[in-house]
Amino acid sequence: MTTRIATDMIVGSTLADINSAQAALERSQRELSSGKSISQPSDNPVGASQAIMLQSALDGLDSYEKSAHDGSAWLKTAGGALSSLNELTQRARELVVQAANGVNSQGDLNDIADEVEQLTEMAKQDADTQYAGQYIFSGTLAGTAPYAQGANDEYHGNSGAIARSVGPGATIDVTVSVKSLLGEGQAAGDGKLLDTLRTIAKNLREGTPEALKALSGHDLEAIEANLSTLGNLQAEVGAATDQITSALNRVEDLQNTTTTQLSNIQDANFAQVSMEFSSQQAAYNAALRAGASIVQESLLEFLH
Amino acid sequence: MSIPTLQGLQTALSGLLADQQAIDVTGHNITNANTPGYSRQVAVLQTNDPMRIAALSPTDGEGGQLGTGVSVATYMRIRNTYLDAQYRTQNASLGSATTQANELQQAQSAFDEPSTAGLATQLSAFWSAWGELANMPASEAAKVAVVSSGTQLADTLNQVSAQLQTIEAQAAQQYSAITGSSGEVQSDGSQIAQLNEQIKLSLLARQQPNDLEDRRDLLVDKLSELANVTVTRESDGTDTITFGNAAKPLVEGAKVDWPQVLTSAAGGKLGALLGLSGPEGAIAGYRTALDGVAATLAETVNGLHTSTPFFSGNTAATIAVAVTPSQVQTAEPANPGGNEVARAIAALRGGTAEQGYAALIARIGSDVKSAQSNETNSQAVVTALSEQRQSVSGVSLDEEMTNLVTFQRGYQASARALTSMDEMLDTLINHTGAVGL
Repeated sequence: MTTRIATDMIVGSTLADINSAQAALERSQRELSSGKSISQPSDNPVGASQAIMLQSALDGLDSYEKSAHDGSAWLKTAGGALSSLNELTQRARELVVQAANGVNSQGDLNDIADEVEQLTEMAKQDADTQYAGQYIFSGTLAGTAPYAQGANDEYHGNSGAIARSVGPGATIDVTVSVKSLLGEGQAAGDGKLLDTLRTIAKNLREGTPEALKALSGHDLEAIEANLSTLGNLQAEVGAATDQITSALNRVEDLQNTTTTQLSNIQDANFAQVSMEFSSQQAAYNAALRAGASIVQESLLEFLH
Repeated sequence: MSIPTLQGLQTALSGLLADQQAIDVTGHNITNANTPGYSRQVAVLQTNDPMRIAALSPTDGEGGQLGTGVSVATYMRIRNTYLDAQYRTQNASLGSATTQANELQQAQSAFDEPSTAGLATQLSAFWSAWGELANMPASEAAKVAVVSSGTQLADTLNQVSAQLQTIEAQAAQQYSAITGSSGEVQSDGSQIAQLNEQIKLSLLARQQPNDLEDRRDLLVDKLSELANVTVTRESDGTDTITFGNAAKPLVEGAKVDWPQVLTSAAGGKLGALLGLSGPEGAIAGYRTALDGVAATLAETVNGLHTSTPFFSGNTAATIAVAVTPSQVQTAEPANPGGNEVARAIAALRGGTAEQGYAALIARIGSDVKSAQSNETNSQAVVTALSEQRQSVSGVSLDEEMTNLVTFQRGYQASARALTSMDEMLDTLINHTGAVGL
């Protein structure tokens, strides 16, 4: 027996078909206009939760990237300060050699001593270099200048380490221990750069043969030792910079793969959705057209 | 014995009356073509008892039976009670699935994922703020940023938790409204009881109460969306209705027994509401999971932020930032100005709190998805059953128009038969014996 068709059934099923065609169309349209295949978690529950983790990982990588750039700029500033220290130490060495040749009058020696004292102040200024408002050579006491100008050569920083997180599990120490180079002056008698320069100035002002001898002997050796410490520090900065550069490369690689993964999960496939959209549009039109013509037909049209 | 002279008129009259009644029924069907719950009716025609005519046959002297026309035996209501029972079972499933889908969808919206305002974004921004602070541990601005992103995160947790609570409370309210003294269950039950009484009386008066039965069935259909319903037809024509697996029948004869205690096993919309708003319900589960995320967040951050707890409270509803910007700790006490604490907290990104949250989102998403697909499936079954019922009981205008033509022609033909009789009688009464007058 064929199914008996009641008038309400035709209207009801036509309406249901139109509604479902419209719902499918609406979904594709939302995907196309937002460019996202997931607009709520129920669209793709696993994808939505993966997207949360991936987006967070991506934000984390951005954070690492920022820290790496920051660390790199920090080291660059430190490197600049060390170069400047290197120049002035070289200059001090030249002055010592010049003074030690024994043909200078006491007046000349005093002039040289003046310059050496100036170099001492300059060395402290270099140590007081700031990056983004932070003293980079103060250890973790970034708000305190490591050295004060003037006769006091005491180091005001600490030996705390400053590090930057530059990748998942990757930490790079960006501390440069300027104290190991400059030391705490004559009061400490530690043979570091400030002590050396103060001693040189003192010997120059004395101008006695013993003093001049010490100048060409002990003081020259001390300054050579200081230069070698400086060289080591510069090498450390260079190595840390290289580490940051390679960490940055890794972070960028991770950013690329994570972005691709995230896009695969949450971005709409435009080609596919457009195709679906077209066929849904056709189905919707057909449902409307069929509905319009079927609902009109009735025996009433033909009876008189 | 011969045939009564005026019998032919009576026979033709029965045809006129029967066709007229059939046309009335057709008219009733047509006018109710769009009435919800209406079942089409058919005037069941039946020949009248024949008249026995003695010694009709001249050969053997036996009698015969002469037809005396037609009458309407009954107005039959075309209805399949088996389909009704199936429809109501599935309608309860649909009511349950629709309610589940709606409520869970609301819970899903409360989380507002994926979006730039959702918890995932806030959580990520919180870790990023710690990362920024690690780069400049002395910066007051970076500390303010950490506190403000922490406050936003805590606020969002508070809000989502409050929204979930509201959804739970609203589900409980809906349940009370439907089952309350002025609710649908009470009013539909009373109407069914009244109809039971009217139907019983009609049947006693030997009248077929088709339209009353339609109205009663429609009310039972409505109830079936709310909870599981079973209908037992009693011998006096009343329906005994059990509702939502409650202990006693909701309607028995003219008596209504409501309110009664329902459980989440009641089925339908009410069962779903009880299930969702209950302590074991899905939404309570989401809140517990969200509390877990908040507790993990507070615990892991406070575990590193040792100077003073960064977060106070250990549920999603109560979590709050407990420090001022100047109290934000970036390093261990032994290492003032360092950034190891800030870096350690930033490295909590992607940890237990986030994983817990992502798992919660996956859980809600798949709950909503399966509720929606349940709804779609139930809807398809209910639509199919509804069509089957319509196929049996629904009015087809084409069919009614055909019937109209049929019965109208029948009426015309009966009238023609009557005219013929009249002309015969005219000949007999007015012209017989008048030859030559």
